[in-house]
Amino acid sequence: MKGMTSFFAQRRGIVSAGAVIGALAALLVRWGNPANMGICVACFTRDTVGALGLHRAAVVQYIRPELVGFVWGALLAALLFREYRPRGGSAPVLRFVLGVFSMIGALVFLGCPWRAYLRLAGGDLNGLTAIAGFVVGIAGGVWFLKHGYSLGRSTTMGRAVGWVMPAFALLLLALLFFRVKFTPEGPIFFSTTGPGSAHAPLLIALAVGLVAGFLAQRTRFCTMGAVRDLMLMRDSHLLSGVVAFIVTAFVFNVALGNFKLGFTLQPVSHSNHLWNFLGMALSGLSFALAGGCPGRQYFMSGEGDGDATMFVFGMFAGAALAHNFNLAASTDRVVEGVFVRGGPSVWGQAAVLLGLVVVAAIGWTMRE
Amino acid sequence: MEQTQHGVLLFHSTNWALKAEKAAKQASIEVKLIPTPRHLSSDCGTALRFRWQDRDALIQALSEREVTFEHMAEL
Repeated sequence: MKGMTSFFAQRRGIVSAGAVIGALAALLVRWGNPANMGICVACFTRDTVGALGLHRAAVVQYIRPELVGFVWGALLAALLFREYRPRGGSAPVLRFVLGVFSMIGALVFLGCPWRAYLRLAGGDLNGLTAIAGFVVGIAGGVWFLKHGYSLGRSTTMGRAVGWVMPAFALLLLALLFFRVKFTPEGPIFFSTTGPGSAHAPLLIALAVGLVAGFLAQRTRFCTMGAVRDLMLMRDSHLLSGVVAFIVTAFVFNVALGNFKLGFTLQPVSHSNHLWNFLGMALSGLSFALAGGCPGRQYFMSGEGDGDATMFVFGMFAGAALAHNFNLAASTDRVVEGVFVRGGPSVWGQAAVLLGLVVVAAIGWTMRE
Repeated sequence: MEQTQHGVLLFHSTNWALKAEKAAKQASIEVKLIPTPRHLSSDCGTALRFRWQDRDALIQALSEREVTFEHMAEL
């Protein structure tokens, strides 16, 4: 066990984890997930929120078992290696707000950082614009950190705090497995068209989520931390995991014939550069101030972190808001032979600008 | 040649690690910010690495500037 701990702590550990998760992400598309969406934590959250009926966008409704796997994979790893610790109390309400706005930013881009990297690995060059915005957002977060930003220390808490997310994840799995119908016309909803209808078989998706959750808990794989650590400490440990993730997904995409280079008409994507950039800048800033990317928030919620659980619930609320109030972007499309560029509505644009102001205000006011 | 022994300080937040780095530099103590070593914590925070021989001077520099840390360990 000690040898395994040491392996995962080393660079070859994080590189291996990134490569395995990248390969599995590319394979999930082969097994049924939407294109360039083998793993997208924001999209999966949005689909799950839709399945619960908390928004009614009919094309993005499905309980994603990968999310259940993330939580339980991390929980099992933390229990096995004696790192499970129920904790919380570090400004949970602000973490909820950061979760809301990180999700709004992600749905204006149409993906979280995981998908930004995967879109790049699939040839969608909008991934580059988004990653640029993401990096600028994280740079903002690092600036606040250097100027005294902190959400305060978390403390060890009672066992119930740590069980909230694993229990919620199990409930989601049960609702998916039994396809519960609460009313004839009501939830649980399952998309019959669109991205929500495209999914890998349940057990495969769950297994991939468990593996990713386990590996990420051991290695601290984080798509935001990779950039933050480089900026803050010139440390490339986490970044090497992300690079391995992108390169492996790219190789698998090419091998599977899922690589298509270009900006326009990419799958579940729009080429409105300004809002791809700003949407991910908002997400990057929110993740940096919350101390982890959306994937890592799920993993930490699995290892007992009640503050990360609050962030995830914030993401749930953000997804509901994004689709109920027309904040999420539309995709590039061709209507009667004419190309129509997608992007956010004026409401989505306003929400991103409001989000940047609110999240920056959190960064500014929460300085010690 | 004998290898320099290092120690590491863990903090409750990145902000305190940065304050500690500043305090150490003001006292001319050589330190480096590093990600929290994986074997010490599953948190992805920031830690401060220092030469073990500077341990007492570092503790004094931090306490003079009221910088608190959570945990000290040998690397």
